[in-house]
Amino acid sequence: MEGKVGLGLRRDIAEEILDSRILTPDFLEFAPENWMGMGGAWKRVMDKAVDRFPITCHGLSLSLGSPEELDWQFIRELKSFLDENRVTIYSEHLSYTKSRNAHLYDLLPIPFRQDAIDHVVDRIRRVQDLLERPLAIENVSYYTPVAAEMTEVQFVNEIVERADCKLLLDVNNVYVNAFNHRYDAKEFIGALPLERVAYIHMAGHEQVEPDLIIDTHGQPIIDPVYELFEWTIQKMDPVPVLLERDFNFEDLEQIQGELTQIKGILNRHWEVTHASA
Amino acid sequence: MHLRKETITIQERLGEYCRTGVELELPGVTPGRIHHYRRLISNVVNDTLHTAFPITVAALGGNQWELLVQDFFADGIPKTPQVWKLPLEFYQYHTGRETGKRIGKPFLDDLLYFEWMEIEIHTMPDRPFPDFVTEGDLFNDRLVFNPEHEIIQLSFPVHTHPVRKAIDLEGEHYALLYRMPESGHVQFLDLSALNIYIITRLQEEKVTLNEIKNEIARVAGIESGRYLDEALQKFLGDLMERKLIFGFIQN
Ligand SMILES: [Fe+2]
Repeated sequence: MEGKVGLGLRRDIAEEILDSRILTPDFLEFAPENWMGMGGAWKRVMDKAVDRFPITCHGLSLSLGSPEELDWQFIRELKSFLDENRVTIYSEHLSYTKSRNAHLYDLLPIPFRQDAIDHVVDRIRRVQDLLERPLAIENVSYYTPVAAEMTEVQFVNEIVERADCKLLLDVNNVYVNAFNHRYDAKEFIGALPLERVAYIHMAGHEQVEPDLIIDTHGQPIIDPVYELFEWTIQKMDPVPVLLERDFNFEDLEQIQGELTQIKGILNRHWEVTHASA
Repeated sequence: MHLRKETITIQERLGEYCRTGVELELPGVTPGRIHHYRRLISNVVNDTLHTAFPITVAALGGNQWELLVQDFFADGIPKTPQVWKLPLEFYQYHTGRETGKRIGKPFLDDLLYFEWMEIEIHTMPDRPFPDFVTEGDLFNDRLVFNPEHEIIQLSFPVHTHPVRKAIDLEGEHYALLYRMPESGHVQFLDLSALNIYIITRLQEEKVTLNEIKNEIARVAGIESGRYLDEALQKFLGDLMERKLIFGFIQN
């Protein structure tokens, strides 16, 4: 999978991907929550995808950062799903999506604090134990810090080191956060333990206010994010790279163009085997 | 628990604000940013429910629908980690609170139920298909039904009539929803209580049509004879064509 370029499997483009008409990713990523426990037509789509592509999974609802107990029933079902579908990498967000046991279906920012680190480290370790596989933790976009007592990079680094987990480096999220919170993106990435990166995300975003970008996954990747990506990959060993696109699927040629552009950048800097490409 | 009480309170306050819109004091936030979280979360919930219940949205009208969503979002506790199952919790929330009665829309429960069941039948886990042959004797062989179906009972026939008409037809109505074996598309049939009885009985262990013919006649209050045979043949033949009955197990 190193140096391969994948695409998120969304229902709108599932048929198109499976027929390999315009979109030709090397691998697929899906959100397990969107497919777990499903039968019928969607199950057949998923089975086909698993037959034809290597699969990674990107979770949505684990809620690593929230105070309430982890949902162990869900995690057990998740484990079966990951096993059944031969999932190579499972990642989740460094955020919380539940409040007082209510699911909120979006990524809320965890306070960058020592007690939150201790809490999240403990939870990642327990999840990894039950899943019997390493977790890759993603740096998320956030629009405001909340009650922070340290920097984001201190927060991320201590969690990843102490939980002994992998990192899913979302380059677009770093760009978004650097813009929204006025810090230097390269300095941030340079301070991360890049040897722990298992996986990279690339995506587009939307600037909604002069000083605010929202991470939408609906637009093409902008050039500064490609540049940051090219700068980053020179500092690390080859890993899989995924393009996240959640909506606006009218122009598939453009999306395939992004996959090609990412691959072009990889090929400039990473020696990858082309055996199955 | 490693989290300090203060951190927990802060985290919960952000969550509460997202659900209710009531602003609570949060330390160390950038002004003017928090509302984006509430907006993004509302979008997810609104889109999910709107897509799941198009007929209900149209029947209630935008304002009343939005109030139902707001109530659920602020007061309900979404338990499912899978957002596509949220419509089920929305239906359960409003049925549990008798919202339909309260707002003068007694058909609400039925409409939400029917629209949810279409999703449920479409997405439910595959059920094992039994072995069968396609040639057989309708009366003397056991019939093999498509296992991917559910029968629901409704007080208003919202599955067959526009709401403004269904409201005048309160009674005992039945719909059978099932999944087409190849396409996975959901179909439904409007059935009488007698039809439901026949379908249910025929799926019980080792019962053939011949064995329950007299029983059917009794329930229907008609004579067992040629007329009934023809009616059963037509009804069950139709179910075969519609792929609700797959075929036969030969005796
Ligand atoms: Fe991402």
